[in-house]
Amino acid sequence: MITVEHLAGGYEKKPILRDLHFEIQKGEFFALLGPNGSGKTTLFKLITGQLPIVSGSILLDGKPMTQLSKLEKARKVAVLAQESQVTFDFTVEEIVSLGRYPHQTGMFKRLSSEDRHVIDTVMSVTRIEHFRNVQFRTLSGGEKQRVLLAKALAQEPEILLLDEPTNHLDIKHTFQILNMLKEWQRTKSLTIFAILHDLNVASLYADRVALLHRGSFLEVGDVNILRKESQLKKVYEVDVKTQAHPIVAKPQLLMTPSLEEADHSTPFLKSFTVNRTETSVELRFNNSLRTLSNAPNSQGIQWLKHFCLMNQPFHENDYEFLKAWMSARGIPAEQALGVGFHGNLMTTSIVEQQVNGVDVALLLHIGEAIHMFVFIDATVNDQTLVDFYMAATEAKMTACQQAGIHLELDRTDCLAIAASQRHYNNHKTETAISRTQIEHHVLATLAIALQQHVGKPTVVKEKDGVINE
Amino acid sequence: MRNSFIQKFLGNKIAWLFIGSIGVVLCATLLGVFISSVKFPIATILHIIAEKTFGLGWLADVPKNEELIIWNIRVPRVLLAFLVGASLSIAGAAFQGLLRNPLADPYTIGVSSGSALGAVTVLFFQYTIWGLGGYTLPVVAIICGFLTLFVVFGLVRLSSRSLAIETIILAGIIVGAFVGALTSLMIALGDRDAMAQIIYWLYGSVAMRGWSHVQLIIPFLIIGAIILLAHSRELNALALGEEAADHIGVNVKRGKVFILIGASLLTGSAVAVSGSIGFVGLVVPHLVRLMTGPNHRNVLPLSMLLGGAFLVLADLLARTMIAPKELPIGVITALIGAPVFAFLLIRDRMGRGESR
Repeated sequence: MITVEHLAGGYEKKPILRDLHFEIQKGEFFALLGPNGSGKTTLFKLITGQLPIVSGSILLDGKPMTQLSKLEKARKVAVLAQESQVTFDFTVEEIVSLGRYPHQTGMFKRLSSEDRHVIDTVMSVTRIEHFRNVQFRTLSGGEKQRVLLAKALAQEPEILLLDEPTNHLDIKHTFQILNMLKEWQRTKSLTIFAILHDLNVASLYADRVALLHRGSFLEVGDVNILRKESQLKKVYEVDVKTQAHPIVAKPQLLMTPSLEEADHSTPFLKSFTVNRTETSVELRFNNSLRTLSNAPNSQGIQWLKHFCLMNQPFHENDYEFLKAWMSARGIPAEQALGVGFHGNLMTTSIVEQQVNGVDVALLLHIGEAIHMFVFIDATVNDQTLVDFYMAATEAKMTACQQAGIHLELDRTDCLAIAASQRHYNNHKTETAISRTQIEHHVLATLAIALQQHVGKPTVVKEKDGVINE
Repeated sequence: MRNSFIQKFLGNKIAWLFIGSIGVVLCATLLGVFISSVKFPIATILHIIAEKTFGLGWLADVPKNEELIIWNIRVPRVLLAFLVGASLSIAGAAFQGLLRNPLADPYTIGVSSGSALGAVTVLFFQYTIWGLGGYTLPVVAIICGFLTLFVVFGLVRLSSRSLAIETIILAGIIVGAFVGALTSLMIALGDRDAMAQIIYWLYGSVAMRGWSHVQLIIPFLIIGAIILLAHSRELNALALGEEAADHIGVNVKRGKVFILIGASLLTGSAVAVSGSIGFVGLVVPHLVRLMTGPNHRNVLPLSMLLGGAFLVLADLLARTMIAPKELPIGVITALIGAPVFAFLLIRDRMGRGESR
């Protein structure tokens, strides 16, 4: 559809783009990414013809763009730019009708019935029919952009060029516009070439992306090139982490700000308080911990501050109840891990210890179910978090086996691994504490606790850790 | 169903506006011909017009001097007022659309100053070009208007390859100021008589011009109006901004050049035959837009009709208010135009406050 060969261009003295090659297939959504000043707009203007090509060529269906007349081009290529100003109070319908300009022929150039049909169709697709006689100037930003989209679609283009069309829009209108585009792309096999600012939006909507860096492409390919964190870091100079979107099979990016380091002065083991009541134990941390758990509200991995065990004999699995119970006690449920159980709170213990120089705290409850919360003062990536999770599970199995306790299947045990993630600015990739160390620590602690539990469930003291009463 | 109903209604509304405007033009013209400080019976006036245009007079003995006054003074005066008003209004509408500035008027880009300078040189030096006779002043004025347009164009071209709107306005203001200064210089250097004559001419008037001036302006009006009407779609597209207009296939540069030439033809010729009459080209297009919306396909022709009618009525007031003396017509247009404009401005703001 569009073929770009050896393209160079830009402003007079200083060519911004150098030797670009790429091809856009029919019906494809191609997104151009890159920071300000990388040459995105220059490339865009070269394609629309607003800037002269210095060398190389842009072919449209094999024919050089420069050989097309303005009208021929406008019948094939439409443009949707950022918000634009319209002088005088034109109505929405009049603006959309302007999109028929390249198709109007004959002496008087009136709108034909076909023109009217196209206008009605695009207005219904972009859902603006109900304000067809409203003045464009009085519309909101999102509505204006929809009108301009309708105008562009009224050209019945084969190719739509988008220059940050959602720049001024909130997420509602951004997604609205892009959904409409995607729909039109699918039904009319429209080819879309877009400059997009938001990498995550590009990842969700584009079929292919190109990463422009200092006037040349660093990478062209499907959206999975956005998984290359080091490249994004090179281009944008921002710490970027990729993550899988939970529902759509696309990567999403998380940017890390360079903030002041979190409070390191307080030792980890002093950075939380324990609140015991007759029916509950709550650990309240000063800072949030990155927590992997299977508790009903934890959604896998979350940042949490409050860790709560509640003795609720009739509501242990009723999460709504537990949430209300916590809220009533001033524990914000969305920052809390709440686990209900029934049994004896006396079998709950907190063990604090240093493992390989790393502070580790362990909250244990042994009853019908065995609940374990492991708190680690380290920076741990997701994979290590899962590693630790397995280590703790295996340690639990082994400890029970050694204590002669047979664990039935179909258990309701809860396990949480929480890491402080302090020191993230040091770019430490290796965690100071290993999986084996966690495994041994949990095994040892659990073994003692189980011994106590099997013997006589009561308050225990341990030789190199402190067990709070 | 509902939509087609609305469209039909709108179509009808525009059609009615055209019919109404033509009615207004006819009424204004008739009033202009009938009413004057020298009273004649209406039947006599109608007879003279019918006799002269179609040879269909029905009255036998009409005095020669009445015929002269009606046919050689009053009719061309009314016609000239109409033609000048039409030229200035359609040119004003086009300039406002082209420059995307509701405050633009036919005099914004300096062509009128050039025409005025040309006219003033004729009045100052009292020369006649051989073969032109009484036409000397308007012809020189039109030529000077065009020279000014070329100077403005040259300045724009030298400073901006793409004929940017801002550059056009600035170049117009620069050239206009320079040319205006030359005019002032001549006024200052002239003797009392010349000064009064020049100043009176600059006020603008359609009095005592005769058929020669009517004949002079008509070809310019026809050509200019055709050029502008043919570019009404381009003017609409330019409201989106030049880039957006380019994207829908408009040849922006060519469109701008044609619109500038068309509007300058109209302005230059209007100034040449009548002096610089203000406010018509500013107010009339705004009034028309209020009625029709901003679509230039309707705004341009309706501005032409109503602008003509407006100037006929303004001229009528100018010559009857303190008859037998006359007021300068520019005074009347400003006296009516300024309050109307102020009212529109206030209403526009209040209206917007209500709706959003």
